[in-house]
Amino acid sequence: MIEAIDLTKTYGTGPRAVPAMAAVSLAVRQGEALGIVGESGCGKTTTARTMLRLEEPSSGRLLFDGRDVTHLRGEALRRFRAEAQLVFQNPFDALNPRFTIRRSLAEPLDNFGVPRAEHAARIEAVMRRVLLLPAAQWLDRRPHELSGGQLQRVVLARALIPGPKLLVADEPVSMLDVSVRAGILNLLRRARDELGLAAIYISHDLALIRTVCERTAVMYRGRVVEEGPTAALVAAPHHPYTRALIAAVPVPRVDQDRTPLPIRGSLADAPPPAPGCGFRNRCPAAFARCETDTPALRTTDPGRRVACHLGD
Amino acid sequence: MTALLSLDAFAVHYRTRSGPLRAVDGATMAVPPGSITGLVGESGCGKSTLARAVMGSLPDVAKVAGGRMMFEGQDITHLPERARRHLRWRRMAFVPQTAMNALDPVQRLLGHFFEVLQGRGGLSRPVARARAAELFGLVGLNPDRLADYPHQFSGGMRQRASIALALALDPALVIADEPVTALDVIVQRQVLDVLLALQARLNLSVVLVTHDMAVVAYTCDRVAVMYAGQIVESGSVRAVLEAPLHPYSMGLTHAFPDLQGSEAALVPIEGAPPSLLNPPPGCRFAPRCPFAQERCRTVPPPLVAQNGHAVACWRADEAVALRGLAAEPATWAAMALV
Repeated sequence: MIEAIDLTKTYGTGPRAVPAMAAVSLAVRQGEALGIVGESGCGKTTTARTMLRLEEPSSGRLLFDGRDVTHLRGEALRRFRAEAQLVFQNPFDALNPRFTIRRSLAEPLDNFGVPRAEHAARIEAVMRRVLLLPAAQWLDRRPHELSGGQLQRVVLARALIPGPKLLVADEPVSMLDVSVRAGILNLLRRARDELGLAAIYISHDLALIRTVCERTAVMYRGRVVEEGPTAALVAAPHHPYTRALIAAVPVPRVDQDRTPLPIRGSLADAPPPAPGCGFRNRCPAAFARCETDTPALRTTDPGRRVACHLGD
Repeated sequence: MTALLSLDAFAVHYRTRSGPLRAVDGATMAVPPGSITGLVGESGCGKSTLARAVMGSLPDVAKVAGGRMMFEGQDITHLPERARRHLRWRRMAFVPQTAMNALDPVQRLLGHFFEVLQGRGGLSRPVARARAAELFGLVGLNPDRLADYPHQFSGGMRQRASIALALALDPALVIADEPVTALDVIVQRQVLDVLLALQARLNLSVVLVTHDMAVVAYTCDRVAVMYAGQIVESGSVRAVLEAPLHPYSMGLTHAFPDLQGSEAALVPIEGAPPSLLNPPPGCRFAPRCPFAQERCRTVPPPLVAQNGHAVACWRADEAVALRGLAAEPATWAAMALV
């Protein structure tokens, strides 16, 4: 459905240029959910925004449904926007506070040229999908009359109403209470299954990603360092960074691993100079080759890729 | 063992135009000495208000509306500000969610330590300087960086500095309000490890306010679960996580992702917490509880303790059977139709 090939996004120019995303190659099939995890500043949000063409890539190609959408403009870009939708992170400021829910849902339909006569039926159907029922009870309310979980359902409805083929959710539940998160995730999963959408979830929370994504990509300093089926990646991480990331996640059980993390330094340290692996200054297993060669993503087991010289 | 801090039917209400907002409304809990107690709950449950009330730093619109708070054997429920000031930093200290709220951006880190160590603790400048360096070492920061400004620190370093500052005058109790929530997972783990190491080394008591059950499980000895202004369950972390007695705690254990656990889909607790302007008359969780009966909707259940495990639920005697039902997603899904 969507494929990024060597996508790079650099902010600024000349020697001060900062690559937010370097040579990212990822693909998501119809009906599949890909998780992108990493810490603040790893480039996961830039990757998502570029794949939605909210940012134009500095280089590389983006294919959507078999078409090249890397440099779309004007009307063609507008049509792509209807097919590739973003679910906002913060439901408390994603909706116009003065609009009724009905108007918030009608707005994207107007933007994408859906005839007015179809609006009521489309709105009714999407409200059923996000389980805000009966719809009539909700449509004339304004955002301040809804709880965070209810608002996020409206935000999801707004993303679904143009009939997209790709849904990108950037930390879709991080602003919500634990008790209602699962409800939103279940809705997202069901919408994806029933509508056959491709989905990309961006999150710092691997535990959460695991509950919704079959595949996961781990990013570090703008690069994908590991990618594979989520279950396999969590059970047996290949990249030392993935290993540290998994070890760092606390679990809601008394008996758990409390040994020190297999990692040195901090993300705040200056990045090591290129070429070479961007993780080598913190890696417990770095060796001579890591200082000189930037590891490329290579396939290990079927469906798994890792950018690390270990085991190569 | 006598509790270091104990709250008994403690209440804090906010003055609003629509009447009193019962942010904390009859909270009962105890913090034993030398332990880490988690205070866990969702946004708006009153956990941060409770933390601020313990510190004696409630905003003007908030008022202690009932109950009692004891600290080191002293009733501090209505302690005058002068006496309060004497406790703050010396006997109890606070670590906020983001250290930027606690640290003055135009003052070097050392200046913050001077303020506390000289201003509050009466130490001489050279002694204060040495103590600041010692405290920085204690939390794993290079003492040379005391000359830096807060903005030169990463989020994790600022949080370490904030912990070091809280420990400056050797308090018996540290209240940390979501101290790692804003941090990335690796940094979060490192800061929690600092907190754990210090607790053991200094035999501190820590109250860790958080919404995150996994952080509680990793860090805490005991936990108090707060819902709509009240403590609904408390006990050892193992008891509350492995054999919860309150349906809300049971629901939370299925709503929370476990990276190393089963891949079963998470189960939400349908609905939202009640308004604290006009809370329901009986159990406050009853409107969302799949096990609520008539009595639950009309009479508030008392908090009853047995073997150090306390719960406020009319059906606590049936907890074993209810736990079985709570493990079924259908039990909670049925509440969506109510």
